[in-house]
Amino acid sequence: MELLDRFRQALVDGDADEAGRLGGEIAAGTAYSADRILAVLSAAMGEVGARYETGEYFIPEMLRSAAAVEAALQVLDPYLFRQRQEKAGVVVMGTVRGDVHNIGKNIIVSALRAAGYKVYDLGVNVPAAKFAARIEEVGADLLLLSAFTTSTKQALIDVVSTLEEAGLRGRVKIVSGGAAHSPELAREVGVDAFAGDVKSTLAVCRELMGGS
Amino acid sequence: MNSRERFLAVLAGEAPDMVPVVPVLDGYFAPKVIGRPSDLCWLDGNCLVETLAAAQRTFGYDGAVAEMGLGPHPNVLGCRVEVEGNQVPLVVETLVEEARDLAKIAVPDPWRDGKMEPVRGLARELGRDVAILGWVRSPFEYAATVRGLADFFADFYRNPGFAHDLIRACLPATLAVGRALVEAGADAIVMKDSFASTSMISPDHYREFAFPAEAQAISELGRQAPVILHVCRNSMPILPQMAATGAAALEIDSPVDLALAREAVGEGVALKGNIDAVSVMEKGSPADVEMAVKAAMEAAKAGRRFILSTGDSIPVSAPSDNVAALVNSGRKYGKY
Repeated sequence: MELLDRFRQALVDGDADEAGRLGGEIAAGTAYSADRILAVLSAAMGEVGARYETGEYFIPEMLRSAAAVEAALQVLDPYLFRQRQEKAGVVVMGTVRGDVHNIGKNIIVSALRAAGYKVYDLGVNVPAAKFAARIEEVGADLLLLSAFTTSTKQALIDVVSTLEEAGLRGRVKIVSGGAAHSPELAREVGVDAFAGDVKSTLAVCRELMGGS
Repeated sequence: MNSRERFLAVLAGEAPDMVPVVPVLDGYFAPKVIGRPSDLCWLDGNCLVETLAAAQRTFGYDGAVAEMGLGPHPNVLGCRVEVEGNQVPLVVETLVEEARDLAKIAVPDPWRDGKMEPVRGLARELGRDVAILGWVRSPFEYAATVRGLADFFADFYRNPGFAHDLIRACLPATLAVGRALVEAGADAIVMKDSFASTSMISPDHYREFAFPAEAQAISELGRQAPVILHVCRNSMPILPQMAATGAAALEIDSPVDLALAREAVGEGVALKGNIDAVSVMEKGSPADVEMAVKAAMEAAKAGRRFILSTGDSIPVSAPSDNVAALVNSGRKYGKY
């Protein structure tokens, strides 16, 4: 099997050791472009998401693959960065105040990193002011808000109004997602888009960054 | 038969006069019945008693959930919990990062700081006519809480031995809280195993990690009172295994088809469920509630081993008329 195929398989299987080792092999050679490697990473996370949708994978398997992506990127990041001066975009992400769910967020963070984004993960139960400060500090293009529980609507509204007050709202596009949310709620709280899973998050981010 | 007798008859495999109605009406919704904000009641046992008793008197269902409040549950194991606004308590600091932290999980004293008073108080308030249900987390759910859910799930592959040790270390907490609930006046124990759902983990992982601790806890606690096992969202693939834990009833959530569930578990265990707490109770109309209740009765009433319930906690924003419709329709379609 070709090196990139084995790499992709290790990511889908969630074998972090193998993904890291093969990532090292890829970085040691010069055969592959950054775009090609990122396409493999992204396709692997896409397949993991598809397996979850069909009931073949569950949350522990998604987390296992997300960990494999992180292990691979740890090795590959300098190699990719040498080749690509620009990232796909700069993202700040976190779970909003009043919510400590981190599984969905962690998976999305890994999928975005796999797709070439620079992601700043602020963790869970994040106050609105912390989002604003980090957006300003890193010059984020996108803010991704994870909100799992139904009680988080006010927290989403608070983030939007805090960014407006700080004069940052026009500089950053906001995407919200999570089990308790919907496109209607996204419109209601004033964010730019809703994304419900890995695939739609990647598509929405690409679109907001001006891609096709 | 009074409400309590009706409910306990189903759990004991005896014939009730009608289908008992015991919704999951807990600290989320109850405070609203008398206009209290939820956050006060999460941490104030007297407030919980007052609102849970008021809710039962208002709607007239057969059993009341005498919970201690979600906050104190992780709190009994030493997790730091915060409550803000009209919200659910958050565990803001997990307890277990590595193997040596297992020693931090002490067997809690469930009576400390008056934590069992809501149960005792509700039993006193509602007397012997209404069933009192006590609420405890399974060892698996306590383990997820003290470890953090993402790390706990990651441990299934990264370090399964550690996950097993952690679950085992949480068993005494489940047993201590469960026994105290009965001592304080609970007629039945609801053991919550929300994260053992096959909406989250595979049936294989359920069998490996969740089932053994469930079975052990139920075998111990079942000597004191009947145990109802609750698993959130989809539990269809694991229902036969859930029945094999020895639980007196399975509390099943709305994604499960009641008729198929009955087929899967046979007549040896009662089913409690499963009106959709969100799409029907929160977002539907009283007519929608009635339609859902009628369908549930048609699917599961025969055999007299059915308790009408919501699949999960009734959200705070559900209209009170829908709760009334649930009980009234339960009475209308639940006659034998």
